[in-house]
Amino acid sequence: MNSSKLYNAFFAAGISLILACLMIGVKLDTDSTVLTVKGATTEQWMWILTGISVVFLSQLFSTQIDALFGAIPKPNIQKILPEERKMAALKPWLIAAVIVVMLIWPFMVSRGTVDLATLTLIYIMLGLGLNIVVGLAGLLDLGFVAFYAVGAYTYALLSQYFGMSFWACLPISAALAASFGFLLGFPVLRLRGDYLAIVTLGFGEIIRILLNNWTSLTGGPNGISGIAKPTLFGLEFNRKAKEEGASTFHEYFGMDYSSSYKVIFLYLVAVLLVICVIYLINRLMRMPIGRAWEALREDEIACRSLGLNRTIIKLSAFTIGASTAGFAGCFFAARQGFISPESFVFIESAIILAIVVLGGMGSQMGIIFAAIIMTILPELAREFSEYRMLLFGLLMVVMMRWRPQGLIPMKRPNLELKQQ
Amino acid sequence: MNQFRKSLLGLSTAVCIMGLTAAAQAETLKIGLAGPATGPVAQYGDMQKIGVMAAIEDINKAGGVNGMMLEGVIYDDACDPKQAVAVANKIINDGVTQVVGHLCSSSTEPASDIYEEEGVLMITAASTSPSITEKGYKMIFRTIGLDSLQGSMAADYILKTAKPARVAVIHDKQQYGEGLATSVRDQLAENGVKAAMFEGVTPGDKDFSALIAKLKKENVDFVYYGGYHPELGLILRQSAEKGFNAQFMGPEGVVNSDLAKIAGDASEGVLATAPKSFDQNPINEARVAAIKAKGEDPTGPFVFTAYAAVEVMANAISATKSTDSVELADYIRAHDFDTAIGKVKYDEKGDLTESTFLVYRLHKDGSKTPAE
Amino acid sequence: MSEFSLYLLQQLINGLTIGSTYALIAIGYTMVYGIIGMINFAHGEIYMIGSYVTFIVIAGLLGMGMVSLPIILIIALVVAMFIASTYGWTVERVAYRPLRGSNRLIPLISAIGMSIFLQNFVVLSQGSRDVALPPQVTGGWSFGDPSLYEVSLSYMQVMIFVITIISMTLLTLFISRSRMGRACRACSEDIGMTNLLGVDTNKIIALTFIVGAALAAIAGLLLGLYYGVVNPFVGFIAGLKAFTAAVLGGIGSIPGAMLGGLILGVTEAMTSAFFPSEYKDVVSFGLLVLILLFRPSGLLGKPEVEKV
Repeated sequence: MNSSKLYNAFFAAGISLILACLMIGVKLDTDSTVLTVKGATTEQWMWILTGISVVFLSQLFSTQIDALFGAIPKPNIQKILPEERKMAALKPWLIAAVIVVMLIWPFMVSRGTVDLATLTLIYIMLGLGLNIVVGLAGLLDLGFVAFYAVGAYTYALLSQYFGMSFWACLPISAALAASFGFLLGFPVLRLRGDYLAIVTLGFGEIIRILLNNWTSLTGGPNGISGIAKPTLFGLEFNRKAKEEGASTFHEYFGMDYSSSYKVIFLYLVAVLLVICVIYLINRLMRMPIGRAWEALREDEIACRSLGLNRTIIKLSAFTIGASTAGFAGCFFAARQGFISPESFVFIESAIILAIVVLGGMGSQMGIIFAAIIMTILPELAREFSEYRMLLFGLLMVVMMRWRPQGLIPMKRPNLELKQQ
Repeated sequence: MNQFRKSLLGLSTAVCIMGLTAAAQAETLKIGLAGPATGPVAQYGDMQKIGVMAAIEDINKAGGVNGMMLEGVIYDDACDPKQAVAVANKIINDGVTQVVGHLCSSSTEPASDIYEEEGVLMITAASTSPSITEKGYKMIFRTIGLDSLQGSMAADYILKTAKPARVAVIHDKQQYGEGLATSVRDQLAENGVKAAMFEGVTPGDKDFSALIAKLKKENVDFVYYGGYHPELGLILRQSAEKGFNAQFMGPEGVVNSDLAKIAGDASEGVLATAPKSFDQNPINEARVAAIKAKGEDPTGPFVFTAYAAVEVMANAISATKSTDSVELADYIRAHDFDTAIGKVKYDEKGDLTESTFLVYRLHKDGSKTPAE
Repeated sequence: MSEFSLYLLQQLINGLTIGSTYALIAIGYTMVYGIIGMINFAHGEIYMIGSYVTFIVIAGLLGMGMVSLPIILIIALVVAMFIASTYGWTVERVAYRPLRGSNRLIPLISAIGMSIFLQNFVVLSQGSRDVALPPQVTGGWSFGDPSLYEVSLSYMQVMIFVITIISMTLLTLFISRSRMGRACRACSEDIGMTNLLGVDTNKIIALTFIVGAALAAIAGLLLGLYYGVVNPFVGFIAGLKAFTAAVLGGIGSIPGAMLGGLILGVTEAMTSAFFPSEYKDVVSFGLLVLILLFRPSGLLGKPEVEKV
């Protein structure tokens, strides 16, 4: 234990004391109308002191702790999974098994769980969409929620004004979101990196504010309510059919009405959509355009030298990503039955981005995994609901330090030169 | 074989015990309490919680309802519409069939669709948006007056008592605020008073100097603000600093002791429509004392509306001797109740027939007195 | 002067006041970006913490019976700058330094996480309600014809201008004259080379965060006193505006941040003056998009050199 260690430990403890003393140790309070300060209780001070001593000790014994952590093996997916060749043979079976489980599972669990799973699937869709833009094409988009909003409002408005069905609106929503992506992408894609980030962020805000202010069309802050749920070939899942003459699902099949049919049906629709999205994106990634996205992310100048048109490549990534968000938005509106601009704020974009980065940029498996974690974790942590967001923020920081390449990094054949 | 039989025996005993405990638990009736326990408006959720918990305690002390003890279960929707849907599904999942909540109209709206569909009785103690009860739902009630009632009361006061020369109507671009502001503006227009300005501000904004300069330019002498106290407090404070002296008026969302804290002296004399202060009502003396004894604040506008919501449910349950929520809803619609907020009677839509609002004048010490 | 021009003057004063505080916060973004090329999303939160510390110190001193306002303000300023700098330094040390040199998205996510963490840390420790301080600096001048339009200029607004100008001048002197400032500039040119020349770049980066946080704390004090209200959520909005200002002026350029802040403030005031004020954010973001389209690196930014 040398003296620099001790110095470090004292320094860190001193810093934590400064950080804690005013913000935790003192609380602002209003006594009738006069602002006063109140010291923390002894118990709180005990906590502060405990925290500081933890910092002190962890700094003092940092080498030992690091060694201890180093001893914990990092999860290595490669080792768990069978070999590449065996994997190829197993893959279709595995996929089939997963799909079957996903189809059967909702009938065995409670309604709330299925609903949560549906929400997770929405985030998976959003994550996969943003993955094209951020993970594959390397364009930092902080306003992804704008396209999500466009999709949701497209369905809500078409359903409200023209009574169009969910299935008819699904492609329209995606197409409209895509054209918004195209319109935004056209001028801004010549910006680089962080400028792109702030412009997309601004665009997200503009869309939200416009939705909020255009009261005559969108209902402004009142939002749009009573959005129709999807139907199965025209069969509704309500207790009674909304339109005269239409029959409901349970009447048609002569079953007793159960409210869980609707929830399960919504879930199954979400599963279907997610499978479609995954399939499409997988195909796209193997097409020249998908290869070009990644090439552009790695080295823009090299791409241009090879005669690739960067505008078209970026635009296609932006547009396809946006259309996926449009899909998700359309479904979100249907699940929710009510939408208002409140659902499309910046923090939503941040969460989607966090899903992509946590999962591992470019990796579809990782994103699915991360979306599940990000939606289920807050539900599990409801008991600590006060600390939920605090832990969420902390998790983002810790993940970036611990495993910046994401939970399941994207796999691609590569050669590495070992340093001498 | 023997082993198997033993384990079978053990299993069946376990099942029996579980069944017994379940039977014992059936003596309690769960009442869901849905509202924000976290997030920026958590303080309103607290008011609701204080009211509901106080009511449940009082009812349980008096022997419960039909021999059943009530139990409040808190569900946090953080006033986020997305979470509200999840919470509603969870409530149904948990088999809770009576809900007090939600708080924010934007959360109540999507959740009420689910409750109606699933036959869960919902009484909101705080959501005042008219559209919630306009869908012809059977299971949805309130113990608080509508925005439109509040708006017409404010417009009436402006036209008959205040009689200002030029009126401006400002709102915060949220469902609650804009709804109120629109109804005030429309009612004024119907009576031939055209608002000199009708404009929104951004919630959470801190700088209103540009807006105040504009109000000053328009020579406005009366401002109706539809929204909550943080923004109005800042508008009042900055108006005083910039020498803009108009009469301000707001809805019950601004009636909060924080308004006086933010605006200081500038909050003296602000008008507001608010539910009658139930904590001042002599019939609630014991209840107020009980809440104060727990170290909680009984003065919040939603404390006694939430209290009354539980009372309405409990009365209906004991009268119908049933916990079937459809039956309860029919009973509630057809009868009137004596509650902490006075006589409660419902119309076909599930709204209160009598307005519970009054125009108050707020003071800089955070108190309020009925306006002249 | 006519009524219209007086009204315009009033809105200009309002816009410059808010703009100068945007500029103070924007400096923090721009300095960090200029040196390590990352967006410090948690910077708005540092401003918010600065505001809270100011409130705590002022309320505490008033409670102890101190009456001299200038002394209270100076103590509050020093304490706020000190605490905010400590937070800035810690954030850099804990959340950014270990990630240096990785994919540029990684520190950004870490920064967003830090921002959420700090915001909720304050929610838990100080509560989520608005905390209000009674007006401390009161009074002002009013001029113009009372029958037409009276322009008001409060002492507080003047104080904001003066303190902003003083801190900007000091910062410019520090960057252009001092040894540390020269090292800062060298780092923003080429951090690797600077390191080779024997400058401890880690120290310089830490210094950048400290200086940025101190300026944010000044903004926290000024805006806290001006509005008299703080809550844990003010940092996010102010940070977003300041970041927009930094990009508008050309991120990485200190005079650009000042210019961007002022332009943004005046634009917002003027939009509110002649259009419904709910559209002011649309206009300011729209302006940002337009400027970036025609000058992709901001007003005073250097065009990025593409390196192979």
